[in-house]
Amino acid sequence: MRLHISSLSVRYGKLTALRDITASAEGGKIVCVLGPNASGKSTLLRCVAGLQTPTRGKVLFDSASLLRLHPRERASKVAWVPRSSEVGGRFTLRRVVELGRYALGPSPARVDEALATVDLLDRADTIWHEASAGMKQRTSIARALAQRTPGGLLVLDEPTSALDLRHIRVVAEVLRKCASEGDLVIAAIHDVALAINLADTAFVLRHGELVLAGQSSAVLSPGSLGEVFGVDLAWATDDAGKRHLVTP
Amino acid sequence: MKPRHIFVWIVLLALLIATCIARLMITRSTLGELSFVWPDSAYIGYRLVPMFAAIVVGGALGVSGMGLQVLLRNPLASPWILGLSSGAGLGVMASMMIEHSRGVGFPEGETIGAVAGAIVALVAVYLLSRGRGGLDPVTMVLVGVVVSVICGAGIMVLQHLVPMGLRGSFTTWLMGSLPETMSYVRLGILGGVVSVGTLLLAWWGPSLDAACLSDDEATSVGVHLPSLRFRLFLVSSILAAVGVIIAGPIAFVGLIAPHGARLLLRSNHRMLAVGSAIVGALLLVGADDARQLIDLGTGRLPVGILTSGIGGVVFLLLLLRGRGKV
Repeated sequence: MRLHISSLSVRYGKLTALRDITASAEGGKIVCVLGPNASGKSTLLRCVAGLQTPTRGKVLFDSASLLRLHPRERASKVAWVPRSSEVGGRFTLRRVVELGRYALGPSPARVDEALATVDLLDRADTIWHEASAGMKQRTSIARALAQRTPGGLLVLDEPTSALDLRHIRVVAEVLRKCASEGDLVIAAIHDVALAINLADTAFVLRHGELVLAGQSSAVLSPGSLGEVFGVDLAWATDDAGKRHLVTP
Repeated sequence: MKPRHIFVWIVLLALLIATCIARLMITRSTLGELSFVWPDSAYIGYRLVPMFAAIVVGGALGVSGMGLQVLLRNPLASPWILGLSSGAGLGVMASMMIEHSRGVGFPEGETIGAVAGAIVALVAVYLLSRGRGGLDPVTMVLVGVVVSVICGAGIMVLQHLVPMGLRGSFTTWLMGSLPETMSYVRLGILGGVVSVGTLLLAWWGPSLDAACLSDDEATSVGVHLPSLRFRLFLVSSILAAVGVIIAGPIAFVGLIAPHGARLLLRSNHRMLAVGSAIVGALLLVGADDARQLIDLGTGRLPVGILTSGIGGVVFLLLLLRGRGKV
């Protein structure tokens, strides 16, 4: 399975959100998309998930354009986790996760498994509007897990922004497991340390342009990231000898 | 289905049957005395017609309101938010004006005027709300409000031009009232339309559930939103138009019924479609029962006044209850 992004540009009126992006990624990998605010991360992910029509260029998933597929067919190939979910009506968390099976047919076992994975099985009957931000985010992730087809595409826009440390680790493990089952996982992540730990490949955006792309260990260095984010960064080594990116 | 839901269905159906029986039995004599007796066979038709009309109109408005609340992603949406009643009102007013100026009445002139006005308003709202991705809910609400205002201005101009007597009959139409005479065939056909509309929305229930997510999320789980929104617009508008044809603009039932059903049945739209129809029918038959009991010395009140008055208070209570104030 291969994703190929070719000369992708997106404009909103006079604003250029993405400018001539060309990149590719293979199944079984985790790609982290990094960049300052308003650098075009969410727009890139929406294009990859087939939710946004680009002004120019194309996104091909195994040589086929996701935009041309009926949403039902696309749902069997791509699972999407938004930065923050919106749910109208009085739904329980379980019902929100069940909606991930809308196009694929009901599967209580997959829904239970997804809820258990994100630690929500015992709180599945909580009403959405009464849930905390972290629970809502975990519910969105569970919905994508209930929907995903191994070997497909899993696209996540800042999936850990509302999570505590334990659940960040849980989600990181889940994403690794998905990649090990052949999924191509693409996630926008603000936490650079998490991205360094998680990513096989990194795409770094600035002002809508892809300024760095490649193997994360090669691309995510203090010098390169410091320049993109406009801060001083350096490696620090802990007692176990593990390197961490820090602001001195 | 959960036992709680089975209990709710039984209670709703029992209440609907009870209010229907009450509608047939409540009798007010010419001296104003109330009694509770089964009517003579000569008079029962005058009670059966408004009772069936209330079921059809209440059901139509309830289901239409539910569909529009999903379509517009707005819990305050009702069948009148798209300018349908104002368009129908302008159509009725125009037909009265034409009849008056030509000095002859046309058969079904008011009905034809209402349907034509409603269709023109809805087509305008549809065309002006269309974007690249299909119907846009926010634009649709704004366009609906603007179309209502323009139709309202047209109504006022025509009211200014017609003689006083005609103004009175138009004001009566605007209040909304259930007919006491109507052919059972016509009522049956309109009831059939409402049943088909209700079943369609129930069939689309899982899509309506998914459409409660944001646009991106709904699309990502497999909903074709432009197609769903067009279908919802079409069916909800037809159902609301059925209500207007039979009873004129009956307020609040389309707003309250889906909320009542949601309170009792949660947010599974397959059940909510049928639930909104039953709650809508129950509200309108109940309001028609209540108006038989009220005597202000000037005849019975039009049922639309009761639905507005009671519906407004109930809605305010629901709103305050949601905010934990009552």
